Amino acid sequence: MDSSLGKRLSPWSFLLPFLLLFTAFLIVPLLYAFYTSLFIHRMGIAYFVGFQNYLNAFRDVAFWGSIVNVMKYAVIQGVIMLALSLALALLLDTKFARFKAFFRLVYFLPYAVPGVFASIMWGFLYSKPLDPLLQAIHFDPLASGAFLYSIVNIATWEWAGYNMTLYMASLTGVSADIYEAAKMDGCNEMQLAWYIKIPLLRPTIVMTIILSFIGSMQLFNEPFLLEALTPVSQTFAPNLDIYNMAFSLTNLPYAATLSVLLGLITILISVIVMVLTRFLGRTAERRQTTAMAAGV
Amino acid sequence: MMELKVENKRATLGRPALHKVSVGKIIVTVFVTLILAILACYFLIPVIWILIASTKTQAQLSSTGIFSIPAHLALWENLKLVFTYSGGVYVRWFVNSIVYAGCVAVLTCVVCSMAGYALAKHRFRGRDVTFYLILASMMIPGTVTAIPLFVVEQPLHLVDTYFGVIFPLIASPFGVYFLRIYIRDVVPNELIEASKVDGASERRTFWRIVLPIIRPALSTLFLISFIGTWNNFFLPLVLLHSQSLYPLPVGIESLLSLINTAAANQTLPLYQLVITGSLISILPMIIGFIIFRKHIVTGLTQGSVKL
Repeated sequence: MDSSLGKRLSPWSFLLPFLLLFTAFLIVPLLYAFYTSLFIHRMGIAYFVGFQNYLNAFRDVAFWGSIVNVMKYAVIQGVIMLALSLALALLLDTKFARFKAFFRLVYFLPYAVPGVFASIMWGFLYSKPLDPLLQAIHFDPLASGAFLYSIVNIATWEWAGYNMTLYMASLTGVSADIYEAAKMDGCNEMQLAWYIKIPLLRPTIVMTIILSFIGSMQLFNEPFLLEALTPVSQTFAPNLDIYNMAFSLTNLPYAATLSVLLGLITILISVIVMVLTRFLGRTAERRQTTAMAAGV
Repeated sequence: MMELKVENKRATLGRPALHKVSVGKIIVTVFVTLILAILACYFLIPVIWILIASTKTQAQLSSTGIFSIPAHLALWENLKLVFTYSGGVYVRWFVNSIVYAGCVAVLTCVVCSMAGYALAKHRFRGRDVTFYLILASMMIPGTVTAIPLFVVEQPLHLVDTYFGVIFPLIASPFGVYFLRIYIRDVVPNELIEASKVDGASERRTFWRIVLPIIRPALSTLFLISFIGTWNNFFLPLVLLHSQSLYPLPVGIESLLSLINTAAANQTLPLYQLVITGSLISILPMIIGFIIFRKHIVTGLTQGSVKL
């Protein structure tokens, strides 16, 4: 009797430390964020207001402006970075590339550089007083028109090699027979990449799109660091707005409201992307099989 | 004579075709490698710049070209500035970073391998629900919980303490997911059964049988979680306000943010402090990364390819 109870409890005893920390430092803060978002503070006293904060948030032009801006950033950055990562992986995967190990290492190196220091290095490279070249060509990467792209560049520098590494790992998992068969059919390297490798990479590409999107929506470090070098709008990214709300304006309930909304929007769009790509993938597959059947 | 002619013919016949192919291949090889080299420059530029910039004085930083190496290297002076600034607070930040990253990495390995073992090798009610809950939580943006964490930690007196930063980072859903798959695939059930038949307790089986087998995965998780914590900025920024508890990124940022204020800018060599301080923060990670790259790559790709 005793031993059977012990047997039943033992998996939970192994799970306990993780579940305790998981609950205390992830689930509870999430629930608490939602709970606080139902109150407002006036003169240090909390009043329950229901969903009033959310109603206010829906009319909050600054917040939605920051969401739109960060989505624009997410799309531009995601497309540029993933195209670069894919190009790097495919180029390194051809028989033409030399010094592969060296290049792979160099491209992946920024992954080890903390985002804060990446922002500092690029920030100084962007800053006119330190860079005579920028003065000579009258280009200011920190001016408001170029600012978004300067951040795109920092994030791309940081994460392109990481995504390349994921692609390369998926490519090395492919059996050599497929390539041999394709070459026998007269495929050149270009066709091999386009017709064989990219379709094989599809699931990995979808995953990197989602990971990159979730990362982009949380944009904070880069614009926050560059504030030291140039004035940055607080509504450039939702997290800047939320941080400001929580610590400069000390409006915690509203900051919590915006946090919850940002999380929900991010998850919602990630799920939509996942479902959509799965759906599109299925139709593409069906088309391929029908085409193959017709061919036969 | 005849034979020679035939051979010659063959040679002239064979040669142009062979020649063409190899020249074409060489051109493409040079072209592809050139593109790869140019892209490598892009990824190296900031690192090369900071190596050069850390050898310059404040005056040289703004007066000389960004990639020109000064005649007299001021690296030693800059290092002295960094290590003596404000009573050696930089050393403190460095030690803090090691403490945060080291503690989080070790504890993540312990906690996640236990959870992963339970989820991989035990059948019990609620197992799948627990696993999917953990999986789903991987989608929650990390920064969303930072400010609520600050509020939850206040009554627990964890704000502005080492543990306040360490605890939230231990419960890594990725770690559990990664080790669950690894344990399920790599640890043979027969070995666990045999250990139980020998009368070993569950705990003993875990520490003596399971842990040694999954050591490669643990070293990978250790590295990934060490890098992740070393690089984390938002969480310590939100949770800490004593300068003496800062990790490197938050410490250097606190210096950088002074660059705007004219008074501090005139009394402190901020540019050298930030640049040389950043370089010393990055170097150990870059060196470690080059040494341990293989472990890191297997972890990242195993975790993601199977997703």
